[in-house]
Amino acid sequence: MASSSSTSGSGSGSGSALTERRGIPGAQFVEDVQTYLTQSGLDVGSALAFLQERLQQYKVVEMKLLAQQRDLQAKIPDIEKCLDVVATLQAKKGTGEELITDFEVSEGIYSRARIEETDSVCLWLGANVMLEYSLEEATGLLQKNLDNARASLEVLIADLQFLRDQVTITQVTIARVYNWDVHQRRIQQAAAPTAQE
Amino acid sequence: MQQGGGSETEVTWEDQQNINKFGRLNNRFHELEDEIKIAKESNDNLEDASNELILTDEEVVRFQIGEVFAHVPKDEVESRIEQMKEVTSQKLEKLEEEKESVLAQMAELKKILYAKFNDSINLEED
Repeated sequence: MASSSSTSGSGSGSGSALTERRGIPGAQFVEDVQTYLTQSGLDVGSALAFLQERLQQYKVVEMKLLAQQRDLQAKIPDIEKCLDVVATLQAKKGTGEELITDFEVSEGIYSRARIEETDSVCLWLGANVMLEYSLEEATGLLQKNLDNARASLEVLIADLQFLRDQVTITQVTIARVYNWDVHQRRIQQAAAPTAQE
Repeated sequence: MQQGGGSETEVTWEDQQNINKFGRLNNRFHELEDEIKIAKESNDNLEDASNELILTDEEVVRFQIGEVFAHVPKDEVESRIEQMKEVTSQKLEKLEEEKESVLAQMAELKKILYAKFNDSINLEED
């Protein structure tokens, strides 16, 4: 999961930048705009177009990651609720009492259920599959799912942070290339005061 | 970010990293604000619930566990709610602390970046 950082080999010599992370290309940091343009052989227009396109690609990936993050953030409380229920059933086990609950039969319609002492629960695994587990196994499985979900969420958040950094770098580079161009034009105009356009 | 009028201020890798860090902190700040709002609502709801409990004279309360409402004796509900309130207020406290820390770091970075870039950079909320 930990991407190793590689010192950039290309001419612009950005410190210790990651060149990519899990399929997301790293944005190359530009030390000096002049050098960057000379080395890439691009004129200002093409360089700006290239950077803008990169920015768009980053945005697309960001949308995707944000959607995944929302899914995970919805899934985690669901798993926690399931763990809660299993824990409650487990607590009732020793007492010999029944658990009486009101549950939703359909939207707005509730019915009462009497749950006697039980050793097992059924867990919905997805894909129209439901398996019966003992209370301990169920707790174990749900806990494992919860831990996996939380770990995935952390990785996802780190990906998003990396991505946002690349977006920021690209935006700053665009601004600098643009400013450099404006600056160059001003110098040229100042150097040729008699050549009025 | 505003585009300066063709100024010559060079952007070093360290500057870029500061800008990146500011961006990250700003994002985290907004996330924290949302999380704090949700935690406060949750706290208020629990407070209301526990007040209702005091007023009610029923012995058995329907307490939501997962997706169902279990019939739970009033005392147990009281202690459960107390526990949930504990957890939520601790979480709220941690979030507020993190928010303070993030704001402080952002203020630091603003000082550094404005010192170097002056008008060429805009770090305010749009």
